[in-house]
Amino acid sequence: MTPPPVRQGFKESINSRKKPGPRRGFIALLGAVPALTWYLVFLLGPLLGLFWMSLRDQPGILAESTFVGLKNFKHVFGDPSFRTALLNTLVQLVFLLPVLMIASLLLAYYLHRKPRGTGILSVVLFLPALLSLAGRSMAFVAILAPKPFGLVNGILGALHLDFLQRAWLADNRTALLSIIGVELWSGIGFTAILLKARMASVSREVEESATLDGVGELGMLRYIIYPIIRDYFGVVAALQLLWTLFTSAGDVLLLTGGGPGYASTNLAYLVYGKAFSQQDLGYATTVGVLLFAGGLAGALSLRATFRPTY
Amino acid sequence: MTLHIESRKLTSRVGWIFSHALVWMYVLLVLIPLYFLLVSPFKNNQEIFNTPFSLPHAFDLSNFINAWRDASLGPGLINSAVITVGAEVLTIVLALPAAFSLARFTSRLSAAVERFFLLGFLIPGFAALVPTVLFAVHLNLLYTPEILIFYFTATALPLSVIVLTTFLRTIPKELEEAARMDGAGWFSVLLRIYLPLSISGVMTVVLLNFLAFWNEFVFSLVLLGPDPAVRTVQVALPDLISPTGTQYGLLLAGVLIAFLPPLLVFAILEKRMQSALIAGAVKG
Repeated sequence: MTPPPVRQGFKESINSRKKPGPRRGFIALLGAVPALTWYLVFLLGPLLGLFWMSLRDQPGILAESTFVGLKNFKHVFGDPSFRTALLNTLVQLVFLLPVLMIASLLLAYYLHRKPRGTGILSVVLFLPALLSLAGRSMAFVAILAPKPFGLVNGILGALHLDFLQRAWLADNRTALLSIIGVELWSGIGFTAILLKARMASVSREVEESATLDGVGELGMLRYIIYPIIRDYFGVVAALQLLWTLFTSAGDVLLLTGGGPGYASTNLAYLVYGKAFSQQDLGYATTVGVLLFAGGLAGALSLRATFRPTY
Repeated sequence: MTLHIESRKLTSRVGWIFSHALVWMYVLLVLIPLYFLLVSPFKNNQEIFNTPFSLPHAFDLSNFINAWRDASLGPGLINSAVITVGAEVLTIVLALPAAFSLARFTSRLSAAVERFFLLGFLIPGFAALVPTVLFAVHLNLLYTPEILIFYFTATALPLSVIVLTTFLRTIPKELEEAARMDGAGWFSVLLRIYLPLSISGVMTVVLLNFLAFWNEFVFSLVLLGPDPAVRTVQVALPDLISPTGTQYGLLLAGVLIAFLPPLLVFAILEKRMQSALIAGAVKG
């Protein structure tokens, strides 16, 4: 097919847009300047401030700060509560991430096969993602309340499993576990819907020919679908890692307050507690630096692990 | 051979039944807390724990009325609404021209700017919680709604710019060329061509940000504070826990009130909201 004749001026304007001169390119970006400035001032500014503050001592929001070099880092690494919080964060990640990602993948594949009830199912799975952090925490404060209250204790009582009843959020054996459970409750459905959306882009023909070759359901997921969405799976896992590392400060604050003792204090909550309860801003920002660096390293290495193999 | 296929069919059948059972058990696990949240506000403590699963026997709104009063949820809802709307508007006002620039003019510089916005996904604002508070003190804006609006906007910008840029790129350039030949300047191109056509992309971003802004907790607590006159509805909720004996019906009534706006939006725009949230997470 021959292209329709184009008027000279029109063609020129297309060409000039393809290769803008440096001046033109700069002027064209003027529209991005306000957003860029905003982003620099309110996000990157405080982030740089974080590194600066970690080298200083400041006993309170309105107090004067003094330069102390790496003293905060020495203090943090030598502090037993930091080590407890680090361990709790690792436990949280090790329990949460694999369960979340594998359950979501299986659930996503189930949805992908479109059994009866898929429509209702995806609505139901979506609901926990709409409930705010404070809302779900308060709901679970009621659900996990100590005896004689609490839905979970009530159900256990009805099943004659009285020996399992406990104050879930105030027991040092179950406080952290409960937080992980609440985060799984709110995370799996939404993650599954994300993965399902990506599975929908796998071509029907690939799946059909695999079925003709006698590939079973699990084989289909393992050898056909998963390798295709693997890269995206890594992206979601990296995002979940960051969300877990950082947003769980709110979960801990509202569900257990980090207790009993330090039993459910993780790094994110340590940042909050040190800054706003104990007024030790140098300590809090130092943990912030470590959390930022750890989160970045973790997210990037997860991305690298799930890079496509083809 | 036939036998082999038959047995394979059987295992896959058993597998399916097993996975149906597993999935619907999980659905039950999701639904039980939500059901509990829905029925308990109509009961008192005694009823909640004697018969947690029974439907409420009376349509008793006293828990809602008391929660509304005890945690001053009225002002909380208004504060949340003002902050959410303010941050939504500011985000679009800043993100749309940026996305327009990035989508329309491609150069090495604009690609760098786009990558710079993409970096925003790796910057967890939470790590910088403390410096953000100090910055607010420095600006003399701590405990004012403005600082929360400004901060929310900043956290929403990277994603909003990227989603809008991707969307604007799908608008055919020919439309713009035609307008230009009629003598339209870049501002009127943005206003007359791109703005009307980008409504759907803007809707996606607005829905995405609505959930994030309305539901946010930690920064709302530290930047706006717990004063009942200025705090958001999310920060008001924990006030309903009482150290001397929590009324769980009251607590859950408050949760339900704060949950209503997102739930209503979801009920009206279900498909749109799903695709908005998916679009928001796809950009890694």
